[in-house]
Amino acid sequence: MKLILSELQKFLPDLKVKATQLRDDLTMIGHFTNFFEEIDGQTVFDLDIKVNRGDCLGYYGLAKDLSVFYNIPLKNLSQKTSNTLNYSLPIKINTNDVKRIMAVKLSNLKNSASPLWLQTFLKCHGSKSINLIVDLTNYIMFLYGIPNHAFDTAKSTENLIWEINPKFKEFTSLDGTKLNLDKNILMINNPDKPLSLSFWGGEACAIDLNTTETIIEVAVYNRTTVRKNSRQLKSTTEASIRLEKDLDEELVPTAFDHLINLILENCGGQITSKVFDYYPQKIKLPEIKFDPQKASSISGIEIPNDFSIDVLNRLGCQINNSLVTPPSIRKDISIEADLIEEVVRFWGYQKIPTNQPLAFKETKDITPKEIYLIESLKDKLIKLGYDEVLTWPLVTSPVDKKTVVTTQNSINSEAIYLRQSLVPSLIQQLDQYNRFKLPSTQFFEIGKVFSKIGDQFIEKNALGIYNYSSAQLIKDLQQLNLEAEIIDNNFAEIIIDNLPKPDKYTPQLSNNTAYELTSQIITLDANIILDEKVDPQELIKKYSQIIGRDFLWKITITDIYQDSKTNKYRYTFQVSYLNLDDKKAKSLHLNSFGLI
Amino acid sequence: MNQNLQNIKIQYLEKITNLKTDKELESLRVELFGRNGLINELFSKIKEIPNEDKKQYGFDLNQLKTELEEKLKNQTVSKTELKIENSKIENFRLPKIGHFHPITQTERQLNEVFKKLGFSVYNSPEIVTDEFNFARLNVPKDHPARDMQDSIYIKEPEYLLRTQTSAIEAYLLSQKNKDLPIRAAFPGSVFRNEKVNRSNHFVFHQYQAVVVDKGVTMKDLIGTMDLMFKTLYGSDVVVRYRCKYYPEVEPGVGPDMQCFNCHGKGCPLCKYAGWIEMGGSGMIHPKVLEAAGIDSQIWSGFAFGMGLDRWTMAQKNIKDIRTLMGGNLAYKPNEL
Repeated sequence: MKLILSELQKFLPDLKVKATQLRDDLTMIGHFTNFFEEIDGQTVFDLDIKVNRGDCLGYYGLAKDLSVFYNIPLKNLSQKTSNTLNYSLPIKINTNDVKRIMAVKLSNLKNSASPLWLQTFLKCHGSKSINLIVDLTNYIMFLYGIPNHAFDTAKSTENLIWEINPKFKEFTSLDGTKLNLDKNILMINNPDKPLSLSFWGGEACAIDLNTTETIIEVAVYNRTTVRKNSRQLKSTTEASIRLEKDLDEELVPTAFDHLINLILENCGGQITSKVFDYYPQKIKLPEIKFDPQKASSISGIEIPNDFSIDVLNRLGCQINNSLVTPPSIRKDISIEADLIEEVVRFWGYQKIPTNQPLAFKETKDITPKEIYLIESLKDKLIKLGYDEVLTWPLVTSPVDKKTVVTTQNSINSEAIYLRQSLVPSLIQQLDQYNRFKLPSTQFFEIGKVFSKIGDQFIEKNALGIYNYSSAQLIKDLQQLNLEAEIIDNNFAEIIIDNLPKPDKYTPQLSNNTAYELTSQIITLDANIILDEKVDPQELIKKYSQIIGRDFLWKITITDIYQDSKTNKYRYTFQVSYLNLDDKKAKSLHLNSFGLI
Repeated sequence: MNQNLQNIKIQYLEKITNLKTDKELESLRVELFGRNGLINELFSKIKEIPNEDKKQYGFDLNQLKTELEEKLKNQTVSKTELKIENSKIENFRLPKIGHFHPITQTERQLNEVFKKLGFSVYNSPEIVTDEFNFARLNVPKDHPARDMQDSIYIKEPEYLLRTQTSAIEAYLLSQKNKDLPIRAAFPGSVFRNEKVNRSNHFVFHQYQAVVVDKGVTMKDLIGTMDLMFKTLYGSDVVVRYRCKYYPEVEPGVGPDMQCFNCHGKGCPLCKYAGWIEMGGSGMIHPKVLEAAGIDSQIWSGFAFGMGLDRWTMAQKNIKDIRTLMGGNLAYKPNEL
């Protein structure tokens, strides 16, 4: 949500804080503000409005919050339209998904391009200017967070019907997008053609510069229906983002009056029908039992009761003894904890100390024993020189088609199965290591394997091991006392759930380094000739230091020979380098062994 | 193994066994592993193998390569030179050491913090019902909060892969509602229907801690979280705690860490906010307690969760999240 400071100040004329302060204050009271920027001379904030605060998808809701926070007055910008006409529009509402609609007909309008201030406003909100009437409808949507629509009656007629799609197959939106319609789409039609979706205007009744007569409507719908329709049609608009939230039916008249007055002021013309106000079920606001002391007991800091009551009053709550009725715009407040959050956020989260953590308390150890088993196995495998890997739990082919668990919407159209064995994933890991030419690898994973028997999903903990030396693998399994299944000589797998589990286990802590390989490991040989026999360990240490830790992967002395004629010793090194290309590795290698 | 590769294997194992001189050995090594050697030639033929057989062929070929390399390395040949101490060659290799995955290291580090405060470590199934992943966490069907997490379904709408460790919380509260008070921490894999790229993965790791007791406060929550952040990031870390919405908590608390790159001034890393969002937390929503059969008039609690992957990546200088899972993450075999 974008927020222009000067527009906000129309609601809050006494707002005098600096932009940086406003950014931080908005964030602290729950509206995370990434940044602000200057656009065409306007200071524009970028806010992350959470899904529970549909009211703050408009300036009015945010201004209400800030008026409480700064304790400054909120100005009403909307004036009631006067209307004594008897002519009723022939509008029909044939669905329960309409919560409230207000509509009226305006005639003798003169449409035009929008003035610069309105074009700039829309630009700051990432919207395109169309023409004055359309732009004013969008302006009001951004101001109050309530979408609305203008129908050119020369195209739509006055016979508007709100209904679930009765028969139409296709709909063309204002921007020319063609959508195939399902049956359960909430629409505005006339008897002959589709005119608009609940969240997207249609081409068939679009306002243009020749429009002189229009029906303006401001509406709130069943948010679930709008959400489903938007998902179904894979279409998101500024209107759908708002209409799928809980919007305030009681705010509809304010937004409606403001819009009508703006159009009449800017386009001339008159109101030529009675205001249509459909509001079948007036909202019932909750009465919440509230104990102001709870704000202190839940926050853990002293918050005066008077402050709590004052904040709720300023928010527009009705307080009757211990019963609090929130204002209709605050759909997110329904229980006492919601009221407590209101009090604490305006008191200030930053006043809660950060240096008083929970003290130790003896509670029942509910750690599942399998966790102790997993931790102890990991420690044993690490001691045997194995590296731990984590692999994808989604795989491309099942081990057993009858029991495999299949996902419905995997991110990858090929990897749709939950693994039944760790081995295929470990094979992929080995392929990956081979691509990077990692020498002599040995690694393991402990992870879940999945299956389905009847309607039951079964998860088991498995241990999968790979060792480049099959003989060593067998030796290690014997040492671990694991009767694992050996697969393809070098892999082993065992379900560990049935192994004996320790009653307690304290795992070892470590902070070993790990490397993101960006190119193949390059292995090169080097011979050095020495007059005397030297401790190979010392030689390894010496050349490790010369080469440096950054690019040295592994260094080994593979052979030592003594020449029978010269009696000199030849040491053959095998050195592996990481994250270096061929040329750089060779250069480092030759330099390090003095071979240039 | 592919028959052709099998034949090559037999043929070359025999050749290696019959080697007589160093020269022959070097010549065979080049024949097999030189730039234009047989192994490289076989690798280059992968593109000609039908797609369905490619994976197996690659696997077999790698196996063949490893076996021939091992055989060649261990082959003793007669020489004009005197080879000494051959039996000690193995001693000159530094011992291979094992390594924990960085995620395990972080999890253990955090577990240690919480164990010292009396927490147990917990876990629960990864395939969950909609009820435990959403409904019990105060996110009813068609609630817009569901848009915060795109799920991977097993059987829509009932079964899915858990999208958050809060699903473990829902399970824990339902299982242990008679064992109050509870202090539990749980690392876990979570799954989202996200495209895999450098920054996003469909499976990632979260850490969550939950307390249910009498008289638990936001001060306890914020103090405990701060302790955790100081353990992970050091005592100089600057964290602010602000109001933030999560359906399963009320009041909600959002911890933000001052950007370590720009120190709060704003930079591309923190999207010019000066702060980095570190996770979510709050007092457990009364509806969540009630859904687990816990009387919210008597018991209260807090919960907080954070992602582990990004922190771990920063710690280990890993730039690509794919590296963590079946990727190109590797460890040096020896202490150097």
